[in-house]
Amino acid sequence: MSELFQWLEAIHDRGEYVRDQLSHATPVFALSRPEGILLVGVGLGQSKVFEIYDRHAIAALGNPVDIEKIRQTAIEAAHLEGFNRSPQDVTLRRLMSYSLSPALKNSFESVFQPPLIVEGVFAEVGETPQDDVLMEFSHDGNFGVVPDGLAVVSSNTAAATQAKNWLRQRLKPHSHRNRVLGLLLAMWQAMTNGERIGNSIKSAQLDTIDLGGRALEMALLDRKTPNKVKYQALTGDA
Amino acid sequence: MDGDFLSLLPEHPLSRLRTSDPQALAVHQVEATTVLAFHYRQGVLMAGDHRATADNLIFSDRVDKILPLDGDSLMAIAGSPAVALEMARTLETSFEFYRRSQLQTMSLQAKTRALSQLLKENIPMVMQGVGTVVPIFAGVDYSLPKPAPTIHFYDPLGAQFETTSFASSGSGSGNVKSILAFQERWGSPAPHNMDLKQATTFALRLLTTAAQFDSATGGVDPRLNRYASVYSLRPGEVRRITDEEQAQWWGKEKKA
Repeated sequence: MSELFQWLEAIHDRGEYVRDQLSHATPVFALSRPEGILLVGVGLGQSKVFEIYDRHAIAALGNPVDIEKIRQTAIEAAHLEGFNRSPQDVTLRRLMSYSLSPALKNSFESVFQPPLIVEGVFAEVGETPQDDVLMEFSHDGNFGVVPDGLAVVSSNTAAATQAKNWLRQRLKPHSHRNRVLGLLLAMWQAMTNGERIGNSIKSAQLDTIDLGGRALEMALLDRKTPNKVKYQALTGDA
Repeated sequence: MDGDFLSLLPEHPLSRLRTSDPQALAVHQVEATTVLAFHYRQGVLMAGDHRATADNLIFSDRVDKILPLDGDSLMAIAGSPAVALEMARTLETSFEFYRRSQLQTMSLQAKTRALSQLLKENIPMVMQGVGTVVPIFAGVDYSLPKPAPTIHFYDPLGAQFETTSFASSGSGSGNVKSILAFQERWGSPAPHNMDLKQATTFALRLLTTAAQFDSATGGVDPRLNRYASVYSLRPGEVRRITDEEQAQWWGKEKKA
């Protein structure tokens, strides 16, 4: 009984430790749009948004080494599956269920190993926006499908929920990408500065926004391209 | 984690090319074909017929022997299709795996060595007289001051050579190489001065000539709407020349 209590206490402490570590990380976004799935983060360059496979990408926050571990695990699992079967058989549901989520859960519950300090969203682009799949995952292996094509991942879940509501009211499918990016970056700045999320937040201008010396990381899983590789890294003026 | 997909394969029994069990490599040999590559004005053109044969039997006239490996490289396969297609699939996955995991593209030298490595590992099958593959590889060399595509050919044991003008492989390659050498020296325009349309039409003529002397080469027959696999490689661009384009350019050539 006492061992079980110690284990539960250790898990609880690990959860607090991870959440504390993640509280320093800035949010990432994934958005399903008519032309594909847009992934946005702000980091040090090649540190938040990555290609995983032909139709798959990740936007993550947390410890860079742990982001790297989960990224490599995903890439390895996807390529082995694509090689063994076919690229069409590489699906986000299977990647999450059988490779990534168990790895995260094992890491979190192995109390004598350091936990993975990482959370994020995986994206899989489909033929239409209705076929897109966004999956948010947390440090303890929990994951879930994002139902409405908009993912905001932050250690502050209350702020993330408010941010989603704020963005949902303003994002339109036909909006120009720069307008979309301006809204996402305005929300990034507000969440990073701990501002109250409300009508006072105005869309950001790409050329004037202060990213605190960091770089905009953005990619599109391009639904329209005939190429098998859908991932396309974008610059701020896209 | 060093981005080496090939090192992953022995741990996961997915490929016949990376196995310690020689029995797993036993295949029925099917070979004979014509594939070719030459420099044209804007890049490299690679072409091959669509026929697959086993001895005197025609297996198929719809086989693609020119395979894009990634956005900067092409491979033409000649020899045993089972092994050759597996090599192409392995390389394709390997190049993309490296690019995604290491966040940079593999160098041309590493790509050509990767193919060489697969051919060397296939030597036991070559020595048994089955599973021989003699490919042509074309890739863009970004280490050059002005990035440009290059052509590499191999022997069945994995030795790799770069050619400055052209390469051809398969049972019909003798005729094709003779014509290419002649055209390169005395032709007007020489292949390296041709534009894409001229180069495509020239490649179709080469395959048609090869088919005239080699029953294992399918050739081109517009009456049957049968064309070839033709690809153009330029820095950052792999482009398939469609049957419709081939028909259009071939038709204009015939009228002229």
